[in-house]
Amino acid sequence: MTPIDPITLFWLFLKASLFSTGGTGNLPLLYQDLLTRGWATDQMFAEALAIGQLTPGPTGLWVISLGYLVYGVVGSVLAAVAITLPPLLVLAISVAHQHIGGHPFVRGMIRGLSLAVIGVFLIVLSRLMPGPIPDWRAVAIALIVFLLALTQRIPVVVLLAMAAIAGIVLFR
Amino acid sequence: MTERPSWTRFFRVWVGLGLQSFGGGTATLYLIQRAVVDQQRWMSAEEFAHNWAMVQLAPGINLLAITILIGWKIAGAPGIVAALGGLLLPSIAITILVSATYASVSALPIVEAALQGVIPATVGLGLFLSYRLLMPTLSVSRREGRVSVAVSLALVVGAMGATFWLKWPVLLTLLLGGVLGGIYQWGSALRLSEASDT
Repeated sequence: MTPIDPITLFWLFLKASLFSTGGTGNLPLLYQDLLTRGWATDQMFAEALAIGQLTPGPTGLWVISLGYLVYGVVGSVLAAVAITLPPLLVLAISVAHQHIGGHPFVRGMIRGLSLAVIGVFLIVLSRLMPGPIPDWRAVAIALIVFLLALTQRIPVVVLLAMAAIAGIVLFR
Repeated sequence: MTERPSWTRFFRVWVGLGLQSFGGGTATLYLIQRAVVDQQRWMSAEEFAHNWAMVQLAPGINLLAITILIGWKIAGAPGIVAALGGLLLPSIAITILVSATYASVSALPIVEAALQGVIPATVGLGLFLSYRLLMPTLSVSRREGRVSVAVSLALVVGAMGATFWLKWPVLLTLLLGGVLGGIYQWGSALRLSEASDT
């Protein structure tokens, strides 16, 4: 593991945000880049995602929590700046769109990109599960939360609170 | 359409939006739309929908891009700063506080056990999110026919395989997915126009 260098850390956050869409689209790239350098652990990712769900603001702010866990307050500030810059490109896009937005290659490219993001995302999710052999309790919690989320009746905060209680009952 | 609101009011509306949006995503978008279109009447529903379409093409967090675009349309460059600052600063402060508190209690056995429940739960929420992202794209494909559905699913499964077995760098997988999707759609558009010519 190399020591954390803030400029590289900022670039990794910026790159992940630049080549992804949505609040968690940057997860696969960050996961790859930070884990190979030994700067973050699976645990940190899982924790940051949980904290991102619990706190107000867009889901994408989970990265700020990850920044904090990896490199303290400086890390979270770097992450905050890095996620704010790429969306600014929307201004250029809103101008360019009047010229090329209707082209089938552009439309197909955006669709292909979003589908590939989902594929990579699913693999990363499976790696956040504990252990080499899946624990039945963890699998059960994941599936139940997925099914309850599908109903869209229960707020995310309530789902996470229920999961925390289930964790205390099942794992202690 | 309407004249620019006062800066304090403009900023306050965005701070409110940032603090109300728990769980992110669709709920926040709904809150922004309600505030900007229905309550403050800063833009029409059509204008909002058009801006949201633009945002789909921008990299990064959609909700930040729509905030930037609305800020720009209403009050120019200072509008971007006020809207983003209002939406983000309180939320960022709270996120840092929670992360910091978390670090100091995470060693307690009860917190550790709770976390072992919360981690699989975030995986479950991630599955739900993937489903929500996949469905609109698939329903467009379904309207285009079976081949398009097969191509879409192949892109998802292909990206999974490239990551899991081939261990390709994520960026390569994403770029290739984009290029293949672009080639396919361009190709089928050309075929359609040839078919209608003859």
